[in-house]
Amino acid sequence: MKIGIKAAVLAAVSALATGALSPAQSQNLTMAVGAQITSLDPHYHALSPNFAVATMIFDTLVQFDADAQMEPGLAESWKPVAPTVWEFKLRPNVRFHNGNPFTAEDVAFTIDRVPAVPNSPSSYAIYTRAIERVEVVDPVTVRFHTRSPYPVLPNDLSQVAMLDRETHDKASTDDFNSGKVAIGTGPFRYVDFRSGERLRLERNEEYWGQKPHWKAVDYRVVVNDSARTAGVLAGDVDFIDQVPTSDLSTLKRDQRVKIAEKDGLRIIFLALDHLHPEGSPQITGHDGKPLNKNPLLDLRVRKALSMAIDRQAIATRVMEGAAMPAGQFLPEGAFGHVPGLEAPKADPEGAKKLLAEAGYPDGFRITLSGPNDRYMNDGRIVQAIGQMWTRLGVRTTVDAQPWTTFVSRAGRQELSAFLVGWGSSSGEASNPLRSLVAGYNRDKGFGTSNRGRYSNPELDAKLEAALAELDDPKREALLQEATRIAMEDVAIIPIHIQKNLWAMRPNLRHESRADELTRAQDVRPAEAAR
Amino acid sequence: MSTTTANTTPAAAEPVATPKVEGPWRRFISEFAESKLALLGLIVFVIIALVAIFAPWIAPQNPYDLAQLDIMDGRMEPGTVGGAGFTYWLGTDDQGRDMLSGIMYGLRISLLVGVGSAVIACAVGASLGMLAAYAGGRTDTVIMRLVDLQLSFPSILAALMILAFLGKGVMNVVLALVIVEWAYYARTVRGTALVERRREYIEAAQCLALPTRRIIFRHLLPNCMPPLIVVATMQIARAIALEATLSFLGLGVPITEPSLGLLISNGYEYMLSGKYWISFYPGIALLVTIVSINLMGDQLRDVLNPRLKK
Repeated sequence: MKIGIKAAVLAAVSALATGALSPAQSQNLTMAVGAQITSLDPHYHALSPNFAVATMIFDTLVQFDADAQMEPGLAESWKPVAPTVWEFKLRPNVRFHNGNPFTAEDVAFTIDRVPAVPNSPSSYAIYTRAIERVEVVDPVTVRFHTRSPYPVLPNDLSQVAMLDRETHDKASTDDFNSGKVAIGTGPFRYVDFRSGERLRLERNEEYWGQKPHWKAVDYRVVVNDSARTAGVLAGDVDFIDQVPTSDLSTLKRDQRVKIAEKDGLRIIFLALDHLHPEGSPQITGHDGKPLNKNPLLDLRVRKALSMAIDRQAIATRVMEGAAMPAGQFLPEGAFGHVPGLEAPKADPEGAKKLLAEAGYPDGFRITLSGPNDRYMNDGRIVQAIGQMWTRLGVRTTVDAQPWTTFVSRAGRQELSAFLVGWGSSSGEASNPLRSLVAGYNRDKGFGTSNRGRYSNPELDAKLEAALAELDDPKREALLQEATRIAMEDVAIIPIHIQKNLWAMRPNLRHESRADELTRAQDVRPAEAAR
Repeated sequence: MSTTTANTTPAAAEPVATPKVEGPWRRFISEFAESKLALLGLIVFVIIALVAIFAPWIAPQNPYDLAQLDIMDGRMEPGTVGGAGFTYWLGTDDQGRDMLSGIMYGLRISLLVGVGSAVIACAVGASLGMLAAYAGGRTDTVIMRLVDLQLSFPSILAALMILAFLGKGVMNVVLALVIVEWAYYARTVRGTALVERRREYIEAAQCLALPTRRIIFRHLLPNCMPPLIVVATMQIARAIALEATLSFLGLGVPITEPSLGLLISNGYEYMLSGKYWISFYPGIALLVTIVSINLMGDQLRDVLNPRLKK
């Protein structure tokens, strides 16, 4: 009898704990994300946490699926109708949250608004710059006229959230943040936003696509890694992103949570100083005196530095498996990935030989810089590479700094070798090639993040040809050739491609995304899978 | 107060102390040794100081030499034998750094920063305090308002701002701590000096027309020493703790030359994963160091404070 009561109580308690309160049944979802949302204005600050929120409230013409492949969004189809004209067919009968219809006029309005948002710290205008004018053919057809042939326009437009001409005419960024005009066509409607704290959303019952499972979403910002992890372990939140790798092995064994991981599009690499032929600012001989030439301009030295790095050790020991050693910009499956271009194997002996051939049998001294607050384990990776280079004979001083200090110094070409990362938002190879290794040219928008100032006319020619090629297979071949040139010339030293990590309660399922976005519509109850 | 009086008699009766009239040093030592805890503190501190000084010779590894670290030995449990062939008695951190060596070298930085900043801050603060007390008037006002201003700032906040401006590095940490701490010394010295300068021996010196510098340094300063020593001892402990805090927050020393604070900070992220040793042992080392200094400081205060004496 006694046992019976006990069992009944136990059953009731466990039912309470696991059943009644589980998110699957309550239709409420609490998420904690590690990065700040700086604005709800989808055109104000181009930053992936902001864009994740934008794609919950708004929609784009073209969407990326979980593997960063394009799929129809507010546009049902698109095709080039002339070398410099793209035609997009819009989805009919789509309505904004306030009931206004979505039409071609709204697309034209949006493209006009993007570059006009005042005080933008990082403008979305890079995605609309190629467009010279927008032609409204009929309410569901729109044509984009570009200055020159521009094959990646659909990729670019996947980053631009569509607004309503009527609602958002003259709407300021503050109006979005206050919620007044946070009105889109997306799967969720705005409820409440407290900057730096949380965003509340509710399901858009009239959504044109697959309706999200959750009636109410509490999207919290919890910047502290331990707090976020503890939150999901304690059951305070149902879902977190940016799981710290230091806790990864423990969490994988823990029954209370489930881990989801997905190969990302963000490559971590070392940039090298290609600018100073007369001697790099942070390279000296072992006697501390500056060298009269820059050893990094010698391909053999660059190769040696790359071969000395044990990428597998970094991936397993520093990243706890949350990284794939990389030999090029993009992972397999991405447009422009070169099949067979593997990550260089660690070969300290070969590296020593190459270094001796180049005339540095005893190596030299170098400072390796990097941020300590930006990428997963950035400070630790820099230290680990410092170990490997020092063992090669290249005595390395490690200088890990806060991102803001670091990036301004790197941008002034004060550093000799430094670790940075690059997330290829468009999911294809022209993006990293153009930004990271194309010769620096402000007017063309080339090499905007080429902080080492690598320059190779052969590569630039291939890239320009690719950027004007509308035929997909031909373009991919050109991009692959350009990538191969960059990698064989060791323009940069690729380290690894990050895996994105999420943790959630075991009764949830996540369609994990390559582009790092953490969104409520990607989370569903696990039962629904079966 | 009565206990102190009672205790001096047996101490004086000890054979070592009997032959002559007790010299001031001998009396100081015997009074200090009355507290067994303070003696223990002293012994522990001496051991820690020796370890710190001789770390390059006794540590199994140079934790600041990247060539001696191996990432494959990272996060090993205490007692594991690593790739280099020796045993990591206290385990390794995430970079494969031997924790025992790391702590020895870390103590070096902690003591260097603690003692170094205390000595410099003491010299600066004492000089200014003395000047304020002796000169009086406007000089006094200016210096003491500066002290007030300095003391009204939380020291950690002030140190953070200074380091954000100066950048990382051991010497910058020392400088920041000097700027933060000199005010304590200035205030202490001024208070004592104000009392002392009205004493007859100063008046006598002034009557002899001795130069001011000589009066300040040869007559006034030695008589202000006791409280200064006490403050200095306490401030060393405070400076060590402050350095650890700054390093923990990532503003102190470079990541390849970790001090105790940075070692703790490195391991802190692994706490949830049960890899306790990365934070735990440096934490213990820091704790023991600070407690031993504070124990000495407490007893010094009792011994040197004239009001607590007979």
